[in-house]
Amino acid sequence: MRERSFVVWLLLIALLLLLVINPLARLLWASFQHPATGAFTLANYVAAYGRWRHVEALINSLVIGLAVAALCTVFGVPMAWAVSRTDMPGKGLVWAAVLGTFIMPNYLGAVAWILLAGPNAGWLNRAYTALTTAETGPFNVYSKTGLVLVIACYSFPYMFVFTRSALDLISSEMEDAASTLGAGALRTTLRVTLPLALPAILGAFIVEFLESIALFGAPALIALPARFQVMTTTLWQMFEFPPRVQEAAAYAMPLLLVTVFLFWLQYRIIARKGYVALTGKGGERRLVRLGPWRWALLGYCLLVTSLSFFLPMLVVLQAAFARAWGRGFAWDNVTLRNLRFVLFDQTATRAATLNTFVYAAAASVIALTLALAIAYIVARRLVPLGRALTYVAMAPFVIPGIVLAIGFYAAYTTKPLVLYGTAWILILAFATRFLPIAYTNSDAALRSINPEMEDAARILGAGRLLSLRRIVAPLLKRGLAGAFILVFIPATRELSSAIFLYTTGTQVLSVLLFDKSDEGNFEVLSSMGLILVVVTVALVLVGFRMVGRDFLLRRTAT
Amino acid sequence: MTSIRTIVAFAVAVLTLAAGGPAALAFDGEPALYEAAKKEKELTWYTAHYDSETAAAVCQGFEKKYPGVKCNYVRTTAQVAYQRLAQDQKAGIAQCSVISTTDQSHYTRMKQDGWLLPYKPKNADELVDAFRSFNDPDGLFTATAAGLVLITYNTSVVSPAEAPKKWTDLTDPKWKNKVSIGHPGFSGYVGTWVVQMKKLYGWDYFKKLELKKPRIGRSINDTVTMLNAKESIVAAGPSATTLESRAKGNPLAVVYPEDGAVLMVSASGIVKNAPAPNAARLFMEYLLSRESSQIMVQQHQDPVNKNVKPMAGAKSIAEVKTIRPTAAEIEKGIPEVKELFRETFGI
Repeated sequence: MRERSFVVWLLLIALLLLLVINPLARLLWASFQHPATGAFTLANYVAAYGRWRHVEALINSLVIGLAVAALCTVFGVPMAWAVSRTDMPGKGLVWAAVLGTFIMPNYLGAVAWILLAGPNAGWLNRAYTALTTAETGPFNVYSKTGLVLVIACYSFPYMFVFTRSALDLISSEMEDAASTLGAGALRTTLRVTLPLALPAILGAFIVEFLESIALFGAPALIALPARFQVMTTTLWQMFEFPPRVQEAAAYAMPLLLVTVFLFWLQYRIIARKGYVALTGKGGERRLVRLGPWRWALLGYCLLVTSLSFFLPMLVVLQAAFARAWGRGFAWDNVTLRNLRFVLFDQTATRAATLNTFVYAAAASVIALTLALAIAYIVARRLVPLGRALTYVAMAPFVIPGIVLAIGFYAAYTTKPLVLYGTAWILILAFATRFLPIAYTNSDAALRSINPEMEDAARILGAGRLLSLRRIVAPLLKRGLAGAFILVFIPATRELSSAIFLYTTGTQVLSVLLFDKSDEGNFEVLSSMGLILVVVTVALVLVGFRMVGRDFLLRRTAT
Repeated sequence: MTSIRTIVAFAVAVLTLAAGGPAALAFDGEPALYEAAKKEKELTWYTAHYDSETAAAVCQGFEKKYPGVKCNYVRTTAQVAYQRLAQDQKAGIAQCSVISTTDQSHYTRMKQDGWLLPYKPKNADELVDAFRSFNDPDGLFTATAAGLVLITYNTSVVSPAEAPKKWTDLTDPKWKNKVSIGHPGFSGYVGTWVVQMKKLYGWDYFKKLELKKPRIGRSINDTVTMLNAKESIVAAGPSATTLESRAKGNPLAVVYPEDGAVLMVSASGIVKNAPAPNAARLFMEYLLSRESSQIMVQQHQDPVNKNVKPMAGAKSIAEVKTIRPTAAEIEKGIPEVKELFRETFGI
């Protein structure tokens, strides 16, 4: 007998298809359409890939994406391990700095980095020349290395949070087994602890890679002056007058194949091994004692967060409180005028602030509910061909926001579903765009739960939905709070899809910020960025309070 | 009726007192147009003409002068403004009533595609004479904003004596790695400037400039950020944003080049499927009014109404030697120079 829950699964799958497949199908369709006649053609693909410049930009994006993902692993994994499994001091500070990094929009960070590592007058270079006899400093943000560093700075928090939530779930029993057999702390960590977190690390690696490929803000600010193109800046050119939407759609299509390949690879790597760590059979977690090494680890964490948060924030603060930031530090240059302008004189700010957080929250709830359900369907094989749903849920990530927005626009301005002009088009676009993050997290969290626990409940007579509610949901609570934050924060700073979908009355802060970024008004830009960061931090801290203290800094073993 | 007139008269009086300028004259048929606009309640304006502060100030000024008609602005770059309007037109959505882009070719295309509604504003009588030639003969669009591309520099590093005097000075070896420019693929201002430089000095000018490795941003306003950061110290920059940043106390100055500042005149037009066509007409009148030009001056923009004086410290466009390609040259030239620019500078 089929369960009642089967209908629920089908409805959720239908919703997923509507949200993801509908805009993507329109894009696919457009990629084969003749711009003028609408007839079937391959000319768009020829135009998109027939130029070396376009191919080169794609190669640049792939190389940068790989380098970013690798650097994020170097940044994020040791920090996650330090915060989750060791007795390193200052964990609260490190976690807060990672949070701050994550909240900071990458385009704001990129501007700050231009001031820090500009080859002619960057603060770091000036400090270097002041301290040494050299004529010029060694730092140059206007390079591929510079771009990789800046993107990695603003995306490594994914790696940190994914890895950390996986590590939090691994009990010390297995580590104990290893040390009983004579392995040292380092060996245990490398051979037992980290491999158990591998699904999460791989998931994060893919997310980092895709995120950096689809990013527009930081590359536009850094790649152009550094004289190279990436995929998103090339795409932007296709939206120049006259816009070549069909060519852009064709240009974006092969990336879907890349996504499919990556997830197939991930599946191949982890499918053959068991990663079930949360068994419901107790399990205690103890911290690894590092001795003097804990200070070295703290130093590393602070170095990374200085690059990503403390130094850029210093630049932003200086500009936000400066009358004229070009004058540098001086007491008579300090003013509250910019903040006052942003908060009180510019009427758009307040409405946009409210919109930003309401839309982000709504989008997070939608994305998370859907992602969890789909991950569950896939993990427990509730429907045939379930694994295909993984690709569907992950697909939006690789479609650059601009292109996704065009797909959304095409899908929701015509009947039967006219959403353009309402808040819903933004909420659904954000939910779709960050569905992959929600999905990767839900999937990793579910994988760590042994299905035996549900099976036990079901043997005792509980239905699928009841066992979900009473067994799975409580076990997932903490992981999900983390996932919520992971979707909520990028949704508050999402730019590329918002810019084509907002209308009067549905403006969000990121759009206001972006407008400021090409107005040459860095004082006001910084003030608005500061407000975005401060309000988000406050909201997230309130969220932590509600979930429980142990989410911030675990005090008790679950 | 009288009460409305009283309110209008009062609002005009208040504005006039506040601005201290000459009294605004009502144009022919204003009361009837205002009445019709009030029935439409609000209008939406897609604009790329100035920064969001100026757009907000212009909207507020309009609402003050014509209470009961709400003004919503959507301020974006020119390409995005056009893209949004194109989206609306394709989907049959009537949202935007007035469009103001800085890219000349958009108007030609919109005219071709029949997206615009003809209207010749009465207040165009007071338009600065030099801008008249940019108005569409069929009344589909009218010049409502102007600005200059000129040489800008950071005064804490460059003295007025050292500063470049003409465009060709930017290719001097002493500015190697120190020049900042925008990208014609992103900015209509930069595109027009590039077309004009090519017209004056041939493409050779940019080949020489490339040897000095200029720093290329997106918008022309990015040069302001580059100069303030001292990452570059001289630039081909915009008049309004640079002077606004200077007014805050940033160490910037402008040079009106001997071989001519590049004049940018940008038009506005009423969209054919405007949900508020009368409010749109009233708004076009307002954009050309003295009040509106006074607001532009307060925001460091150049006035388009000839009865309004430019801000202190800036020259009026009439006193400056300005150069500008023709509309046809811009339209044909911009796509061409974008390609050339990409070949020469590699992006």
